[in-house]
Amino acid sequence: MLSDKYAAEIAGVLARYPIKNSAVLPLCYIAQDEYGHLSIDHIQEVADILEMPYTDVYEVATFYSLLYTEPVGQWVLQVCDDNPCCFTGTEELVADLEDRLGIRAGETTSDKLFTLQRVKCIGACHRAPVMQANLEFLGDVTPDKVPGILEDMVQKAQSGATLSISGRFAEQ
Amino acid sequence: MPDITLTIDGVAVTVPQGTGLVEAAREAGIEIPVFCHHPKLVPVGMCRMCLVEIGTPKIDPATKQPVLDENGKPVIAMQPNLQVACTNPVSNGMVVKTNTAEVEFARKGVLEFLLTSHPLDCPVCIKGGECPLQNLTMGYGPSVSRFDYDDKVHFEKPIPLGPLIDLDRERCILCSRCVRFEDEIAGDSVLGFANRGRAWMIQSKSNPPFNSKFSGNTVDICPVGALMNGEFRYAGRVWEIKPVPTVCPHCPVGCNMTLDMRYRDIKRVQPRSNEWVNEIWLCDRGRWGFHFVTSDKRLTKPLVRRGGELVETTWQEALEDIAQRLHGVVQNFGGNAVGGLAGGRLANEDLYLFQKLFRELLQSPNIDSRNGTLDEPEHDDLAYAFGLASGTDLGQLGKGTTVLVVGADPEEEAPVHLLRLRGIKRRGGELIVANGRPTKLDASATRTVRYQYGHEAHFVLGLLSAVLEGGSENKEFVRSRTKNLDALRTALRPFGVAAVAEQIGVAADVFQAVAQSVAGAENLVIVYGREAFAAGTPLLQALGNLALITGHVGRPGNGVLPIMRYNNSRGALDMGVRPGKGPGYTNVVKEGLTAQQMVQAAGNGKLQALYIAGLDPVAANPASRAALEKVGLLIVQDLFLTPTAQIADYVLPASSFAERDGTYTNAERRVQRFRAARNNLGDSRPDWQIFAGLGRALAAMVRQPALDTVAASAGKPTGKRPAPAQPVATARTWLYRSTDDINAEIVQQVAIYKGASYAQLKSSHGTWGRQAADDPVFYDGTSYTNTEGFGVQWPTLAEQTNVVFDLVFSQPTTPQPRNGELLLVAAPRLYDGGTLMQNAEGLSFWVAQPYVGVAKADAERLGIASGDRLRLSSAQGNVELYAKVDGLVGPGTLLVPDLAEIPLGQVQTGVLTPVRVEKVEG
Ligand code: SF4
Ligand code: SF4
Ligand code: FES
Repeated sequence: MLSDKYAAEIAGVLARYPIKNSAVLPLCYIAQDEYGHLSIDHIQEVADILEMPYTDVYEVATFYSLLYTEPVGQWVLQVCDDNPCCFTGTEELVADLEDRLGIRAGETTSDKLFTLQRVKCIGACHRAPVMQANLEFLGDVTPDKVPGILEDMVQKAQSGATLSISGRFAEQ
Repeated sequence: MPDITLTIDGVAVTVPQGTGLVEAAREAGIEIPVFCHHPKLVPVGMCRMCLVEIGTPKIDPATKQPVLDENGKPVIAMQPNLQVACTNPVSNGMVVKTNTAEVEFARKGVLEFLLTSHPLDCPVCIKGGECPLQNLTMGYGPSVSRFDYDDKVHFEKPIPLGPLIDLDRERCILCSRCVRFEDEIAGDSVLGFANRGRAWMIQSKSNPPFNSKFSGNTVDICPVGALMNGEFRYAGRVWEIKPVPTVCPHCPVGCNMTLDMRYRDIKRVQPRSNEWVNEIWLCDRGRWGFHFVTSDKRLTKPLVRRGGELVETTWQEALEDIAQRLHGVVQNFGGNAVGGLAGGRLANEDLYLFQKLFRELLQSPNIDSRNGTLDEPEHDDLAYAFGLASGTDLGQLGKGTTVLVVGADPEEEAPVHLLRLRGIKRRGGELIVANGRPTKLDASATRTVRYQYGHEAHFVLGLLSAVLEGGSENKEFVRSRTKNLDALRTALRPFGVAAVAEQIGVAADVFQAVAQSVAGAENLVIVYGREAFAAGTPLLQALGNLALITGHVGRPGNGVLPIMRYNNSRGALDMGVRPGKGPGYTNVVKEGLTAQQMVQAAGNGKLQALYIAGLDPVAANPASRAALEKVGLLIVQDLFLTPTAQIADYVLPASSFAERDGTYTNAERRVQRFRAARNNLGDSRPDWQIFAGLGRALAAMVRQPALDTVAASAGKPTGKRPAPAQPVATARTWLYRSTDDINAEIVQQVAIYKGASYAQLKSSHGTWGRQAADDPVFYDGTSYTNTEGFGVQWPTLAEQTNVVFDLVFSQPTTPQPRNGELLLVAAPRLYDGGTLMQNAEGLSFWVAQPYVGVAKADAERLGIASGDRLRLSSAQGNVELYAKVDGLVGPGTLLVPDLAEIPLGQVQTGVLTPVRVEKVEG
């Protein structure tokens, strides 16, 4: 249970806000880091802690592309397919990633290392095409850079470093 | 509040401060089209359909005065962009333009955008014909779209959003009306938006999905065909429908609704707007619970027992035989040997004739509107004296009002009351909920109080003490309108706050706080329900005293609101279907037998004839079967061949509410008319007709002189007001042609119904600014405009300012479970699986499985786990149920949902029954 395992952290988060509901995102982060994604039960746990209706937490969880309601790999690659990125080669990038990873956008590799997703604007149009890998921004991702990027990620994953998939460790 | 004057399209409008722009425009007859805005919901500005130009007087920063032009008129600073009207409240001097080219262009744009993702499948859409999106597109939209048809979003369509509601996500315009209704009005946060962008959609993630007793209302207010009444889909087009006004027969709220007829078939049930009663809402039981009307189990022919079998007979034969035999019984044994039970599901007209039949023609004082089981409470007289004063509108109360709910579960007993009480809280009122267990209303309460079952009266006596100890009684009112306060003070001595707090485990400061809220409030509404009735007279008297000493009776917005079992339980009491009191709560000479006593007398062979209409004692308590079998002449009049009907000598098929006219009186004492929508099923007849037929036959047999004296008093004209229809029935003729004749007689004979003639019921004393149902622009849902009148709330005794009330006291008793016994409490359930839920397949999903709720502490002590089969036994008998260990009741209590499937009457020895618990194999 999150409420036991992270009692102190949760208490600290709750103390930051005048009303409990405000802590919904930080708590979703904790849950997602603990469980890897937010299933019905995990969302329910957050809802219980915050005394919020399940539906309301679910709305939040499905709204943000950095909260995952399905299991994801250790690296979540989110490629922007909004206009500026499309003009500069998103489709080629996605096709290339699909090729190399052997999956379609929206899927996870069988070794659970990578999940590939299309997302809308992530706010870095000047570096289009852009991709976000967990919390890292990668700009000007032309297909020639892809092998190196993937290689790096594999190594990081194998090194055992904490690969936060949520904003909880954003500052670290 | 001060009034605000503004100008809309050059028209000056004056409205109260706080009025929204859309409403202000409506006042001036100017249309501002809306989708997301709804008059009963908080504005959110989500759809942008209501864009207008808004300007306000320019203020000189130096002088803080409006800048004037050369003509001395204020200079108006128009805002640079279009503004949404729905979220903008009016302000003085505001200038609004709703008909400029820019506004028209914007509306076109909004509609074109909305339609980019819309499937445009009106020809197969159930909303077609009453759809705001259709209407506004015709009125304000572009005739062509620039978007590529192939780019439309596609979703699987439709998908079930809950057991009763289907969702077509392609049609949804994401206005959030449904979500907001559930959050704000119903208090069920079960709908929400998932995802975003083009994948944005409505979802229900509650378990089970769409877990709300009010889900149908979201269909009404959905401005497109996204939310659908699953049963109505493809059942007809709205322009083929003829709505027949009626009143819901399911619970005592008495919601106004229509039976939407397509030829002879009821296709759906819709609300009729009545701000006094149900506003524009219905609960799901009312909306989907009409299928019993067309059940193939309905009785269609009179039956008579011949050679041990029930066989068909004719009305003429049946009525003549019954009259003969009843007459014979009365002649040989006297009227005391005859008994009559007629339930609170019958209409007032039926009930009036029923008691008249017994009291006048059969000379029998033995009539009652109960089943005769041991758990049935005393009849409620409190509302006669202290009921919510006439003119009370729960929909208007708010700040300054305290609502005290004791022993009631409005969600289960009277669902739309839940919405109304939540409304009072929303508008700033206090809502104090006291019960022996948690109820849904707790979540809306400003304070909840939990007492131990059996201590309801103690709690209220403690409140009385708290008021008196604090000296916060209304001294003027107590002096002028009550007597015996000193006696009450003396009687209350053992019930001082400290003592009661100690005894029932509720903190002393809770009493003080509640007492303060009750005494200090401008208006006080006391709601009590089935679990309060369980505590009997001591509690009711205490509640009456609380209202009295705080002066909260006889004024609009004040009084008690008892929630009784059946939709017309109030009417049954009003019409005097009870021993000891005649119509209008008048005293009668001869005190008769209660239902319980009649069942007993039947068992002792003392009752020769028993006439049961709309009640089912055998189902309520199978043990009463043996007693009723001993009655020489058992007549049962019902819609179905109930367990009681199965042992009857005569079974008379009655019409359902859908097949006849009449009036019901709701919990707030509002008398309301309902209309026939279809023909009688088979040979069934309205109850009143059956009684009248019998009356005619009997009147011909009874010796005339006795009747002539009655006849002389019956036809007295009332003088002032011209009677709408002169009664034509005399004691001799019993010739009632229609319910109008009976109503005319009731109006003359029953003082409290003086103002309840059909003509008066139909008057619609003012409307509430609601548009006609077919208003295409300002859409508040598919509820119908009320054409049948809002009904009449009959005045309480306390409204006569010269009446002085006695502060009576009776000693509360607490059921005493003996060693190891637990207290059995029956908790009302809306979805009880009873007779009126027959064939309502949509609702069957919601009928709970039988169980007995056990407190955790008791379960541990007795070694009970969820799923164990328990036998609960009392001196009366036993029932077996599966255990569910939950935290809902306190230790010492067992909670059993009151479902038709559980024959609780079999074990109950009173309203609260101490039972032994043992585990059995199963
Ligand atoms: S389902 Fe209907 S009411 Fe609900 S958001 Fe969609 S359009 Fe609005
Ligand atoms: S609240 Fe009662 S009267 Fe209203 S619709 Fe529901 S069951 Fe019928
Ligand atoms: S934004 Fe005003 S009605 Fe929707």
